[in-house]
Amino acid sequence: MEGTLNLVGYGLSAIGPAIATGMIFAAYISGVARQPEARSVLQPIAFLGFALAEALALFGLVLAFVL
Amino acid sequence: MSRRNSNNDNLSNSQNEENALWSIVGYLLSGLLIWGGIGWGFDRWLGTTYLVLVGMLLGAGASIYLVWLRFGRD
Amino acid sequence: MGVRLAAEDGFQPPSTADFELPPVFGDNPYTTKPVFLVFFSVILISVFFILASRKALVVPSKLQFAGESIYGFVRNDLARDVIGHEFMRFVPYLFTLFTFILTNNLFGIIPFLQFPTMSRVSFPYVLALFTFVIFHYVAIKHKGLITYLKEIMFMPGVPKPVYVLLTPIEVATYFIVRPLTLSLRLFANMFAGHLLLLVFILGGEHLLQGVIGLKLVSPFAFAFGIALTFFEFMVQCLQAYIFTLLTALYIAGALADEH
Repeated sequence: MEGTLNLVGYGLSAIGPAIATGMIFAAYISGVARQPEARSVLQPIAFLGFALAEALALFGLVLAFVL
Repeated sequence: MSRRNSNNDNLSNSQNEENALWSIVGYLLSGLLIWGGIGWGFDRWLGTTYLVLVGMLLGAGASIYLVWLRFGRD
Repeated sequence: MGVRLAAEDGFQPPSTADFELPPVFGDNPYTTKPVFLVFFSVILISVFFILASRKALVVPSKLQFAGESIYGFVRNDLARDVIGHEFMRFVPYLFTLFTFILTNNLFGIIPFLQFPTMSRVSFPYVLALFTFVIFHYVAIKHKGLITYLKEIMFMPGVPKPVYVLLTPIEVATYFIVRPLTLSLRLFANMFAGHLLLLVFILGGEHLLQGVIGLKLVSPFAFAFGIALTFFEFMVQCLQAYIFTLLTALYIAGALADEH
């Protein structure tokens, strides 16, 4: 088997953002389900949280190729 | 048909969300790639090693700012 | 930082080389299996929909019902709900795209064909190129070139120096990342899925030739392979849907007057 350890590192580093994204949207969905009129307030917050978490995952992806 | 029309508001809302999620990922990826690529190019040119990281941080910051501009502010 | 793990008993894990099929006729590189699968899929789709729509009845036959429900799905759930009132112009393209990708993906789990065409990266590239040209053309025709470029490059309400940071990102998103992620998402899903099936089926076969303890394990590998085949079926339908949905979303974005 051939490969590089960078990919193992990328796999490990993707765990955190994956859990974070799941938690963000779980909270967003249950918030909107309880109070549908809160959607416009919650939506930007959820998207920004998603962007922050996703940035970390993409950081890992790019660094796996660069390093 | 009439049921659909009464649902139209919710429907377009969820379509907007789907659209927004895909474009957020696109923005983050291109921000990292463009500014990380510029940093990487400067690294090759000047013979340093840290500029690629600076570029990636700059790109990530800029694209999160862009996401906030597009989807965060009212 | 390459790592090499020695395989002890000579098992060759499936690799990218398994996707590079030899030409069928002589050494003409245009006669490989994926090329024939593409032609076959075109014939298959044409025959199916011609048969389904030839004798249109008020009380549909089973074939007509199947054809109409696929068409209705693409027209109503994808085109109309995403694009809005001008959707009818784009239904032929979206419908062709959806059925073409779906059929070619499903070739990955159909016995004897068993090769998803889209796991060769050039096919998704071409499909993404079509989408790329179409949504830029629609946007330029709808808004005019200058307005469109201005809308892409300059977000309103930002201090001027910040444009140095943001404009490259916007341009890269619209002209590089969008078509690239569109094609690579489809390619990577098909490639990884096919590789996964190969690992379990070939691994199970190899385990059967081992000692008695390994023979007992191999049914589990085969069972996993079968379960993953159903999982693959889901992924293949989903990827065809996502490709078409994103195309529709990009066209909708090209038609929308945002600012």
